[in-house]
Amino acid sequence: MIRYFFRALRAQLHGGLSLFALSLFGVSIGVAAVVSIQIINLNALSAFSGSMRAVSGGADVTIVGKMPSLSEDTYPRVLATPGVEAAWPLFRLDVVAEDLDFYLEVIGVDFFTPIDLPWEGASVDLSAALGEPGWVAVTPTLAREKGWELGDRLEVSVGTRKAELVIGAFSDFQKATPLASTRLAVMDIAQAQSLFGARGQLHQIDVKIFEDVDQGDVIAELERSLGTQVLVLTPEQREQQASDLLSAFRLNLTALSFISLFVGGFLVFSSTQASLVRRRTEFGLLRSLGATHRQVMGLLVGDVLLLGLLGVAVGMPLGYLAAEANVDRVSATVTNLYLLDAINQLEVPAWFFLLAAAVGLFSAGLGALMPALELGRKDTRALLAAFSLHERVGARAPRAFLLGVGLMFLGGILYWLVGDRWRPAGFIQAFLLIAAVPLVTPLLVQGATGLLRVRSFGLAYGMKGLGKQLQTTSVAIAALAVAVSMVVGVTTMVASFRETLAIWIEATVQADVYVSTPAWRRSRRRAVLDASVIEVLARHPAVEQVDRLRQFFAYTNGRRFSFAGVDARAPGEKTRFALLEGEMLGAELGGIMVGEPLARKEHLSVGDDLVIDGPKGPVALPIKGIYYDYSSELGSAFTHLETMAKHFGDGPVNSVALYLEQGVDSEHVVDELKTSLADVPLTIRSNRRIREQALLVFDQTFAITRLLRYMSLLIAVTGVALTLIVLARERSAELALYRALGATRLQIFRVFLGKGLGMALIGIVLGSLAGVVFAFILIYVVNRAFFGWTIFVHWPIGLLVQQSLVILGASVLASLYPARVASRVPATELRREDL
Amino acid sequence: MLRALAITALVLMPPVEEWRVAVPDYAWSFPRDHWAHDGYRTEWWYFTGHLEGGGRRFGYQFTFFRIGIVSEPIELALDSDWASSHVIMGHAAVTDLESGQHVFSEVLYREMPLLASFDHDSEERIGWSRGPAGTKALWTLDFTGDGFRIAARDDRLEMGFELTTRAAKPRIFQGPGGFSRKGKESGAASQYYSYTRLETSGELTMGGERFEVVGESWMDKEFSSSQLEPQQVGWDWFSLQLDDGRELMLYIMRREDGTTDYAKGTVVSPDGEARYLELEDFSFEATRYWVSPSTGARYPVAWRVRVPSEGLELEVRALVDDQENKSRFFGGVYYWEGAVTISVTGLGGEALGRGFVELTGYGEGNRPPV
Repeated sequence: MIRYFFRALRAQLHGGLSLFALSLFGVSIGVAAVVSIQIINLNALSAFSGSMRAVSGGADVTIVGKMPSLSEDTYPRVLATPGVEAAWPLFRLDVVAEDLDFYLEVIGVDFFTPIDLPWEGASVDLSAALGEPGWVAVTPTLAREKGWELGDRLEVSVGTRKAELVIGAFSDFQKATPLASTRLAVMDIAQAQSLFGARGQLHQIDVKIFEDVDQGDVIAELERSLGTQVLVLTPEQREQQASDLLSAFRLNLTALSFISLFVGGFLVFSSTQASLVRRRTEFGLLRSLGATHRQVMGLLVGDVLLLGLLGVAVGMPLGYLAAEANVDRVSATVTNLYLLDAINQLEVPAWFFLLAAAVGLFSAGLGALMPALELGRKDTRALLAAFSLHERVGARAPRAFLLGVGLMFLGGILYWLVGDRWRPAGFIQAFLLIAAVPLVTPLLVQGATGLLRVRSFGLAYGMKGLGKQLQTTSVAIAALAVAVSMVVGVTTMVASFRETLAIWIEATVQADVYVSTPAWRRSRRRAVLDASVIEVLARHPAVEQVDRLRQFFAYTNGRRFSFAGVDARAPGEKTRFALLEGEMLGAELGGIMVGEPLARKEHLSVGDDLVIDGPKGPVALPIKGIYYDYSSELGSAFTHLETMAKHFGDGPVNSVALYLEQGVDSEHVVDELKTSLADVPLTIRSNRRIREQALLVFDQTFAITRLLRYMSLLIAVTGVALTLIVLARERSAELALYRALGATRLQIFRVFLGKGLGMALIGIVLGSLAGVVFAFILIYVVNRAFFGWTIFVHWPIGLLVQQSLVILGASVLASLYPARVASRVPATELRREDL
Repeated sequence: MLRALAITALVLMPPVEEWRVAVPDYAWSFPRDHWAHDGYRTEWWYFTGHLEGGGRRFGYQFTFFRIGIVSEPIELALDSDWASSHVIMGHAAVTDLESGQHVFSEVLYREMPLLASFDHDSEERIGWSRGPAGTKALWTLDFTGDGFRIAARDDRLEMGFELTTRAAKPRIFQGPGGFSRKGKESGAASQYYSYTRLETSGELTMGGERFEVVGESWMDKEFSSSQLEPQQVGWDWFSLQLDDGRELMLYIMRREDGTTDYAKGTVVSPDGEARYLELEDFSFEATRYWVSPSTGARYPVAWRVRVPSEGLELEVRALVDDQENKSRFFGGVYYWEGAVTISVTGLGGEALGRGFVELTGYGEGNRPPV
């Protein structure tokens, strides 16, 4: 039988190469979509984990501060804790290399602690490391990339503070942990504190615990003795934190990639169906010659397995290439929005290939399941006799429709019951919707084609025929509809989000000029503006008012959020925040404003207290208002600068907003300020530039979804071509009859074109309707549950129409080849039994 | 990896010219010279002794090393408490002479207010450091006017001591004027003095058990900027306290092949007079060896020592073979520092005194870092 399988395979490939190629293409793209996203997802975290292992490889536990700074007084207390085998302090800071517009992750270490550092070369001169100002060790990879050599000097900045680094050695972090950031740079802790103006401050203490001591006891003792101002984390917990940070982003990408695979599954269904139709006589003959039912089934399963395997084999490298092509965009999102490490290189562990293969084979198997069951039910006689499944599908269409409607109804009930409070709800609803689409398709196809009036043997005749060949056509139409629904849903969600953001930015960015520092993007609270710089800014004749902003990450109820202090009493602040609930802070000190994502995640409303971990214990601030906030999914809150100083101590300002006199050209002022403060590392931007850049970051973040959308569409359009080829083959007798009755080739060509057009039209209409529901699910359930923000619905009609026309055009193009094949069926194909 | 770095770095420290070097006419000033001398690259306070208490006998060692990393002080150049030109290394060991158990603990910190420091202004405190990780207690060295107070503890190893010593004999210089040569090169020397008998009392913990102890100690204080000459691999150093009131200090600097490259010695009379010995004035030969199971180093653990001018022909024997100290911080560095007993050849092994022996540079590629 195995020999037979391969012989039959050769015959099959010979006879239907295009069919096989299309099926393979569909499965490959589906696998590629999943593989590319999973590779990116995996590596988005691997970069963080790699750097963590490179720096803290030997540590069992890491201690980080929850307050704006971690005092170095903590270190001896950690060191003296029973069970601690070793502890080493780390000073960590991302600094911007001025001329190069990129950041270095500086790690200040105490060279006399047992920290493992991968020095390159035989020796490192410790006296130079300690004594030569600015001595730093960089990774050889980065040095190669930038053309640096030992002794080269490098100007860096953090906030308005500048420093000069001297490359004194190379530390090859990539050798031990290939995924570690190449931007890691090691220097002596004293030099780091001194250069960056942070005397007395640490950022992390790594701890090694004796092996024979209960780690939990030591952690508990550290937590007890160090109090609530620090977090004591195991490497797993740190990875989990980073993973949590990216979880929503990753999960959404994963879900979208699986839709591509789902659509790919439809293709397998179609092709298996086609194979079954084409080989029914063969299978019948085999059965009557004594082949068992299982053997015949084995042939079919073998086909599917081969298709799945080839799909995986082609899809995986394709997925890797797609990941590689998109890694920069995702890396930008990971570094800009989540402040994690950039993805320097993609690594794909061996287990991943197994997983991808399993996913590909599983989806192929799932797609082939129905047709295979169909085969199982057939007796030998039925296989040998002419038959058509379409009528049966037609008969079952109403029941399937009801089931589909039932599923959608179930989704609705789920929304009514849990809304956005239960995270998986959105995905279940989306799944129910996607499952419902194929179920409602046959009846809708019947209904739509039933309305058609056929006047001639041409386009309309072809379309009308769709309703009669439901078994084949409804699957392709459903696949197209699912893909379209995803495109419409995601396009609408992204457009709505972008529009909401644009309006929000318009309202929020009210000052004329914004001044921060190049290091602000990554170093946040440590990127501070020197008071003298603020004075210079304020002295500019066109500046009417200066609003200061101080920001750091704080903790409430174990959740990290961005906490800001502002000049809340300044006139511009009154209208700056679009309020969801409550009112803006007034002159009275002590209150706090909370952003929507934080309020949703912590179930806070106006009148509640936001309890923040403070240096002297919890600080409870009454919530005055809740504002729309799209700045960070972590959540944010702000209060008066004075209130912040009262509870968290005085601290420097991170950025300022300048309000200019009426009628002054802000771009002109920006230029003047840039000239007068040319020596200071500053980012000075007009409100127009800041708005543009915010939207640029947004577009960058969602760029990857575009790839997924188009991958799904490509599969779906392939499905149309595949279906038409199947029809051309399956219906060859019918086509021959038409030809015998005098139909011209052109007429048959047009009939098939009509079928393609009809499938596309029905798919688009059905998909768009489902897409609207999908958009609602994404906007009102998924985004709220995962990110916590309100998106106002905005229909990108022009874009949707444009996309529909492209799909229509692509479907018609995809119909040309099958139409040509169909039109070439000669009248001699007509067999007696077909009449 | 850092361990390797630290050692390499020490080898690669700035050339000797940048540090002060030992001179024959050093102007000693006591008690100030008990405190640290920052201009020199290495300095140590070395206490060894024999203690008794609770029916048990112990040998102990306590050492503070000051190691200069940068010759120009960087403390003022950098705005950070971590800015430091020195590191402090502490070694403490206790040997239970009954059970043979030997416990070694160590600390290594840069000199900074939070971790360790050599005081220059204090009337009492010469230096202190945090204990090893996991231990709350500090390690301290104080001058009390007529002796020293030392404290070291390692909670993990359940070992520690707090001891007060009082000089039973006057301080003596090792080498004329406290100038002790270590090789033929002119810079190969140290400023060196000793208290050869310190009455000692205090508390000692071993295996979690506390003992009130009394006994005798020997204290060496040495500072220099020199290092081993290229042909030298390590040294054998003896501090022997004889029951007749004399003390004997002998050292030889060894070559790779085990032969003597340089040697010196001092005999202290019962009334505290020092007489200096040259290579030809004494000899000693190893009579038994012990191979460390953990490092593979083969150490001599029994010797025949002859000082003809003093009429001495001594059998010196380790009280416990395994008194090897292995440093965690200095990766592969290990040495033998152990209590010994002294008897006279031909007198049936009757004890005539006790002492300590230090053996460095034994084992493949093992060189003393300081």
